[in-house]
Amino acid sequence: MLRPLPMKLVRLLVMTDDLPQASLTLAETESFEPDPREPEAQMLSGLPGRDYHEFYQQARSRLEKIAKLVPVAEAPDIDRIRVVYHEELAATNALLRERWEQASRFEEGFRHIDEEARFVRDQEAALANFANLKIDLGTLRNKTRFLDFYVGIVPRENVVRLEGAVKLADHLLFNYLQRGDSAHVVIVGPRGEKESQLQSVLSSASFQSLPIPQGLDDASPAQKHDEFARRREELERERARLHAELAAWERKNHELLLDARRTLLLAEPFVTLDPSIRSIGPLAVLSGWVPARQVHDLKQRLHESLILPFELDARDPLAAERPLVPSVPIKNRFLEPFAILVKQYGIPQYGEVDPTPLFAITFLFMFGSMFGDVGQGAVITALAWTLRAKLGRIYLFGVLAGLSSVLFGFLYGSIFGYEEILPALWKSPIHHPILMLEIALGYGVLFLVTACLLAIYNRVVIRNFSGALFGHHGIINLVFYLALVWGGLNLGLRGDFGTAPMLLVGVALGALAWFGWRHLDAPVGEKVLVVFIETLETIIGYVSNTLSFLRVAAFSLNHAALSIAVLTLAGMMGTMGHVITVILGNVFVLVLEGGIVMIQVMRLEYYEGFSRYFSGDGHEFAPLRLRFSKPAAVVDAAPASVSPTEAANGLV
Amino acid sequence: MSATSQAYLNTRVTAMSTRLLEREQVQALAQLSLPELAERFQLESVLDDQLSKQAKSRAVEQTLIRVLLAELAVLIRPMTAPERGLLLAWGRKFALFNLKTLIRGKLYNLDQVEIREHLYDLPDGIGLSDQELLRAENVLELLRILEQGPHRLIARQAREVYEQRREPFALEAAIDQRYYAELVRQAMQFQGENVQSLRQLLGAILDRIDLLWLLRFRFSYRLSPSETYYQLVPSPKLLHRDRLLDLANMETFEQVLGALPSPLDTLLAGSTSLIDVQRRIGAHQHAEARQILSSGRSAVARALAYLVLRESDLMVLFSLIQGRLLALPQELIEIGVELAEPNCPIGGFASAA
Repeated sequence: MLRPLPMKLVRLLVMTDDLPQASLTLAETESFEPDPREPEAQMLSGLPGRDYHEFYQQARSRLEKIAKLVPVAEAPDIDRIRVVYHEELAATNALLRERWEQASRFEEGFRHIDEEARFVRDQEAALANFANLKIDLGTLRNKTRFLDFYVGIVPRENVVRLEGAVKLADHLLFNYLQRGDSAHVVIVGPRGEKESQLQSVLSSASFQSLPIPQGLDDASPAQKHDEFARRREELERERARLHAELAAWERKNHELLLDARRTLLLAEPFVTLDPSIRSIGPLAVLSGWVPARQVHDLKQRLHESLILPFELDARDPLAAERPLVPSVPIKNRFLEPFAILVKQYGIPQYGEVDPTPLFAITFLFMFGSMFGDVGQGAVITALAWTLRAKLGRIYLFGVLAGLSSVLFGFLYGSIFGYEEILPALWKSPIHHPILMLEIALGYGVLFLVTACLLAIYNRVVIRNFSGALFGHHGIINLVFYLALVWGGLNLGLRGDFGTAPMLLVGVALGALAWFGWRHLDAPVGEKVLVVFIETLETIIGYVSNTLSFLRVAAFSLNHAALSIAVLTLAGMMGTMGHVITVILGNVFVLVLEGGIVMIQVMRLEYYEGFSRYFSGDGHEFAPLRLRFSKPAAVVDAAPASVSPTEAANGLV
Repeated sequence: MSATSQAYLNTRVTAMSTRLLEREQVQALAQLSLPELAERFQLESVLDDQLSKQAKSRAVEQTLIRVLLAELAVLIRPMTAPERGLLLAWGRKFALFNLKTLIRGKLYNLDQVEIREHLYDLPDGIGLSDQELLRAENVLELLRILEQGPHRLIARQAREVYEQRREPFALEAAIDQRYYAELVRQAMQFQGENVQSLRQLLGAILDRIDLLWLLRFRFSYRLSPSETYYQLVPSPKLLHRDRLLDLANMETFEQVLGALPSPLDTLLAGSTSLIDVQRRIGAHQHAEARQILSSGRSAVARALAYLVLRESDLMVLFSLIQGRLLALPQELIEIGVELAEPNCPIGGFASAA
């Protein structure tokens, strides 16, 4: 289960005319991840799908813009999977261009109404201002023989410059009101030749003329407000009419837009493959990664679907290609939430052990042992189950962690902090602290030894033998650590480290120092210093890392001690006070200690475990796939051996 | 900025300033052949023989801009948000080049591939979302998309101008005007030593830009004083608002030069053409930037001065390579990089005005 699914690098040689069909077939099988590297053969340089790509991108962009105005289903049903050829895509693109031109008129219409509404608001504001001015507004409405008037709105940031510019045309600018981003201005100056200069400046400054309401002097402000209200209503009616027109347009074009969406979805695989396709004349080559056991099925499917001849060959990845090979993730309902946490650290590189199963087991063991309580574990489980709709896939993580806590609660005989109600199936931590610490230490040794073995295995798999022997957490390190543990045990049991472990520790450290010395390119003094510090760091590192696991026991004791504290406090209260204190105390323990235990376990997993053996710099297998549900008929017709789930379940 | 960051940035700028070219170095570079230039600046890969001259030229320009922006990215690392904002605002000029290319492309209905070939490949933080903009069907749609991003103000201004005037000149002038106005606005937010040095540097830049625009708009494009003034950005140093108002109102090229404040009046005395003015005032801006770089007390101003000078050097290098690519005569290349003065008679504005 820990070994990755073997992958093959597949090279497919097809006739260029068959490329769209080949892409569709590859996407249907969901077992092909394109490899976008440059081809080894220099003459393969053309990009046959370039036009296709351009048409697709343009058409898709147009459809997305239309979809912002009217609903267009993201993944409509497709009755028949078929190849979309260049001509059809070009026609769809042209059609969408035409439809977007129509749709954009509605968009502009809505903008125009918004602008008008804003203008009405500005006019109302102007009216309120004019009403307070003690001047004859009638004169502002019409140009006089000698004076030129402009009343209007300009963007606020243009006012200062405009003021200077109108001054050069012998005019004056008066900014009488600022609203939002706009400034209301009156420009006045003599009529004459400079008047024409002003027009050009005003248009550069986005000046919008504000008509002075007719009859301002003889109509009451209430009447004018009614006029503006009527105008606003008119605009709302206009907006409603435009919405109705848009809805009618949508009804008329509904099927057409859905068909365009279908065409684009069917064209998508070829476009996705585009960067990986190279061609020479009528031949096209594309390569990608395929799970080894699906290569045969893939070939079979291509035989069935391609009309023109093709060639498919597959080979194992080269050692140098290993970082490029995708890793197929583990698909298991119970492991899925743990895989999410592993992904936070990284994706296993191809060949590397996937730590998810080991992570799940050790996580549940440590969490349960540090937070063992039947009642509190049951609460965690119940909460996770109740909130499963909101928590999504991660809810199972909460359920399992809670169940682990329940299991250890039974072993410890603890329920909501009470240690007397349930008989302990094993032992209560608070009564056997030394035993708990010894077990934690032993668990730590086992954990670190396993991590070192995995680190060694990961290096051997990629044929890095010197790394497996001398590298960090390699064989020599493991020998040193086991000898140290052996000596430590001797020291604890007999009071003497022992000659054999001492010798082994010395030899292992000597070997590490020698390896370090040989690989250092520095003056002798610096070499001595570095080798000394590195050797010291090895000793201190393993000792401190082992002691780090004492926290597993410490938290199990802490949990019991906190519970005792809560119950002691509750014991000092009356009946109601007792109940409230126990409830609040348990909530406190659940939230605070539960959170801390979670963090501590993650720290042990990531730092003491993953950092030893897991590089996490791989990438997940992301096969080419269709973004819509395949019709039943097509799924039935597909060979049973090429089911998508099987592709993803690929672990041996 | 903390004292440590200031010291770090100052050291960085000083170390980087050793890359700037002295006049003697430019003279030596002007004597090198294309392969020698390519080898010297590791441009062999972009000067691939299979490419056309135009493609080579684009590739070289793109590489040099990438070098400049990579240095900008290094310099802004220790900076505070306002300092970073200022340098990024300066670097956005390249994004505006792309914007203008996109606008022209849309105006003249050019093919997307053709437009894309002329766009600079810019890093995040400076670039535009080119793909989305490329797919806009027309200039208005393009500007509306741009209004939803960090270039909101520039785009809004440009759209309003375009809606009113429907002509590329007004649109591009609005974009440039907004760019420099934003640069000055950001610089004037600083305090103490920073603002003094930045005023000196941006003042030199704006004095040059304003004078060249003023002369061009008034006497080449024959715009009215009002329209000319409206397109200018008051400089925080010599060509401030009132002075620009006076200068824009002058009727001849000579009157403008005669009314310039010191030291521009002596510097430009006797200039007869825009090219001459451009050369002299360019040298003045260069000297000001050099002075800030060598003795300025503001780290952010020194960093910006370095970038201004570095850009100028890289453009000199680009001119040299371009000259070699087009097999231009040595004399013309030297005039191009201002190692030699043009000796051909160029009609002055005196006659034009």
